[in-house]
Amino acid sequence: MKIVLIFDQGLAGAGGKSNPNVGLNAVKGGVGTALMMESHFKEIGADVIATLYCGNEYFLNHQDEVVTKMTAMCKKLNPDFVVCGPCFNFPDYAKMAAMISANILTKTELKSCAMMSKENASVIEEYKDKTPIVIMPKKGGTGLNDSYTALCKYINVAVNNPAELENIKAEVCYK
Amino acid sequence: MMAKLEKFLMPVANVLTRNKILSAIRDGFLVSVPITIVGSIFLLISNFPVQGFLDFMTSIFGAGWDSYLGRVSSIAFDCTALLSCLGIGYCYTREQGVENKIAGGVVALVSFLIITPQRMEVVVEGAAEAASFSGLGFTFLGTSGMFLAMITAIISVKLFCWATQHNLVIKLPDGVPPAVMDSFASLIPAAISMFVFFVIGIIFSITPYEYAHYFIYEVLQAPLVGLGRLSGFELIYQFLSTLFWFFGINGPAVTNTVFSPIHKALTLENYEAAAAGLEMTNIFTAGFSDFFCNFGGGGSTLGLVIMMAFLGKSNRMKNLGRLSLPAAIFGINEPIIFGLPIVLNPLMAIPFILAPCVNTIIGYLATITGIMPVTSGVQLPWTTPIVFSGYLVTGSVMGSVVQIVMLALNILIYYPFFKLLDKKYLEDENANSGVVDELEDLSFDDLSLD
Repeated sequence: MKIVLIFDQGLAGAGGKSNPNVGLNAVKGGVGTALMMESHFKEIGADVIATLYCGNEYFLNHQDEVVTKMTAMCKKLNPDFVVCGPCFNFPDYAKMAAMISANILTKTELKSCAMMSKENASVIEEYKDKTPIVIMPKKGGTGLNDSYTALCKYINVAVNNPAELENIKAEVCYK
Repeated sequence: MMAKLEKFLMPVANVLTRNKILSAIRDGFLVSVPITIVGSIFLLISNFPVQGFLDFMTSIFGAGWDSYLGRVSSIAFDCTALLSCLGIGYCYTREQGVENKIAGGVVALVSFLIITPQRMEVVVEGAAEAASFSGLGFTFLGTSGMFLAMITAIISVKLFCWATQHNLVIKLPDGVPPAVMDSFASLIPAAISMFVFFVIGIIFSITPYEYAHYFIYEVLQAPLVGLGRLSGFELIYQFLSTLFWFFGINGPAVTNTVFSPIHKALTLENYEAAAAGLEMTNIFTAGFSDFFCNFGGGGSTLGLVIMMAFLGKSNRMKNLGRLSLPAAIFGINEPIIFGLPIVLNPLMAIPFILAPCVNTIIGYLATITGIMPVTSGVQLPWTTPIVFSGYLVTGSVMGSVVQIVMLALNILIYYPFFKLLDKKYLEDENANSGVVDELEDLSFDDLSLD
């Protein structure tokens, strides 16, 4: 199973708040936070084929471009699933992830979800009907490992058993 | 094994971080942190560890110049119980879901003052008997009143919120300004809290303790702070804090619910000892914890970031190290916590947990052998870079030297793990560059946007 990850600069290991204007980047395989998700992906036989990322301020200043180009890149890569997250409680990244995932689901045949903590309440409220948003804890909160397990459960069902998708969505995503 | 450990730690973290009382105490103490830091700056200037500077100040401002500065540091340190009481009262009202948080904070403060001695005795030289005056004494408002302030804030606010939530309030007609409405709504709840503490004060007055301060200090504060003087205290704190972080849980947010009152008391006791011209004896102060155990962020990662920036062979390591270094110097390591990553990365668990523990042992040994002085009551922002912080918090250049030794040790501890990860990243990068496939040269520039 092929996975594409969409990160901000912090999760991609391209610097945190010190590097917010990094432009659109695409690298082969998983980078940064992907390593902490690796063992979970392995359990469902998934491989990260590429990580796409950009800085949070770059996104805020070029929202249409980022959403359009990230979607186009995903379409080109044609993975089995696109994970837009994990966004923790980072508000700009959460907005970017939700917008991209919603756009991927609308404009392509690909499967996708976003993943963020409940602190991003306004983004969740605005996008939860446009894209599945997997529940996770905020930065430093409890239950990070469990949330990756839940994400993989969702990916596995979405790719291999779509008939069960609504059930799993009710279990692991914001309602 | 890691899964089992996480299964054990998760409920503990949940209980500690979600417990309303513990969260209120942890957050309530944070309210007074800016005051303590500003007070520390005044304290540092008046006790600057360079005699030439002190002489220079005296030559300009005259003898006794430091007493003016002492007015600020004294309020910051000697009124810590008062400030904590207000902060904890405010935060506990928030945790209870009552809107008028400042009213809860003020009720806590007033309840504390009701049971505080309001007549002080002073020994006047040459007089046969001690004279007394009406007023509050720093003795009861500072460190020694801290645990009582915590307990008072929790009980008084609980009563206040209970009364508010059970509608024991005076309701004024619509159209009354909201500030007036809130003030009257708080009247009966505040009266209940104040009355209860009035009774508590009377009850203690007929016991041999006379005041709740003496009772709580003797049965609770002294034994708990005594735990902080045990040699393993800081080691347990550092171990647990980094262990939680490894699972993605903000370790200090969990451990501080229990450890922070003890750290604070130990730090302030050193301040009081120095102010009284006595020897400072507490090793595990907040300054020791921040600047000798865990500098550069959780896991004491400054050494790791330096290696990443200058010894990294893979581009990923090098770039992340160079981008993270400026923040790491100021104790912020978020970019590598999630970007390297460290969280949930079994390879980095060992050095991440080991480095702060080794630092704690080195710092402890350096202090008890007299290589560096005991850390003072000064509280610097945790972002103060090492070398400076070591000097300022101990008043000795040896503080900086010990920090440099620790940094070198941290580099050694992280080195083998850093090399393994760097090698893995380098292999990934080389493998990617050797294989020509459609993923090789991913670029957004020539992307079709149809």
